[in-house]
Amino acid sequence: MTAEDRFRDYIAAFNAGEWDRLVEFYAPDVRLVIGSGRALVGRQAIVDFYSEVKAQARRTIEVLACLSEGNVLAAELESEFLALRDIPDFAVRPMNEGDRYYINSLAFYDFAGDQFTRIRAATMVREYRPRPE
Amino acid sequence: MSGQTGLRAWFDDYLTAFNRADFAGFGAFYHDDVIFAGQAAQVTGRGAILEFYRTVRTYLHEKVEILTFLGAPDESRIIAELKTSLVAVQDWPEMPTGAMEKGGVRESVNFAIYDISDRRFTRIRTANFSRSSGARR
Repeated sequence: MTAEDRFRDYIAAFNAGEWDRLVEFYAPDVRLVIGSGRALVGRQAIVDFYSEVKAQARRTIEVLACLSEGNVLAAELESEFLALRDIPDFAVRPMNEGDRYYINSLAFYDFAGDQFTRIRAATMVREYRPRPE
Repeated sequence: MSGQTGLRAWFDDYLTAFNRADFAGFGAFYHDDVIFAGQAAQVTGRGAILEFYRTVRTYLHEKVEILTFLGAPDESRIIAELKTSLVAVQDWPEMPTGAMEKGGVRESVNFAIYDISDRRFTRIRTANFSRSSGARR
């Protein structure tokens, strides 16, 4: 399996919210810096963060481009959050039920063997898309 | 040369020209209708990009270094992690990413994606990952 194939499996597990499968992609001391600059260290911190997000919003990630060489993979990602309820304290901004938040980002993944050791994301485009009246 | 190795050498040439403010040199890497969505400007066309950078260079010395480089085997795309170092050579209160005073320094790490056709950039997009400012020199 290529690094690109493994990455697409990872995104599929992410979209499905399969946390047990997802953690297998992370090294125990993985460091993830998300687009807002917030750093999450360790598998459990990542699972805790995204479990909370998942309880509030449906998130889907699409891989638009993916390149890999050596122990680094880079990807362009499109991501959308759909608020499942009113979320005044949502990670990126207050959201009302039915609102959407779109993100177009670039991310670098360092890996050792089959596991990610460092993930860094930066956002190119952010769009708040309120629920149509 | 072909594939990633050839693309890296080509990109190195682009940054060498860019860093020495060789407008004709780095301008030759842009497609006529290139779309540029950078941190400080969103413009379309080689002429518009060069005009933007001519303004930038009256206020700043800019140096871009590659931290991570990934090129598509078919040479259609580059994704890179870049370190940008800026030194203000005069005050620029209206600088799009935040005012700088003469002598001020600013460093940032940006992720960039370049779409390429026939060894010309057709679209350039960037995202800021981190930024730090230094004291006046």
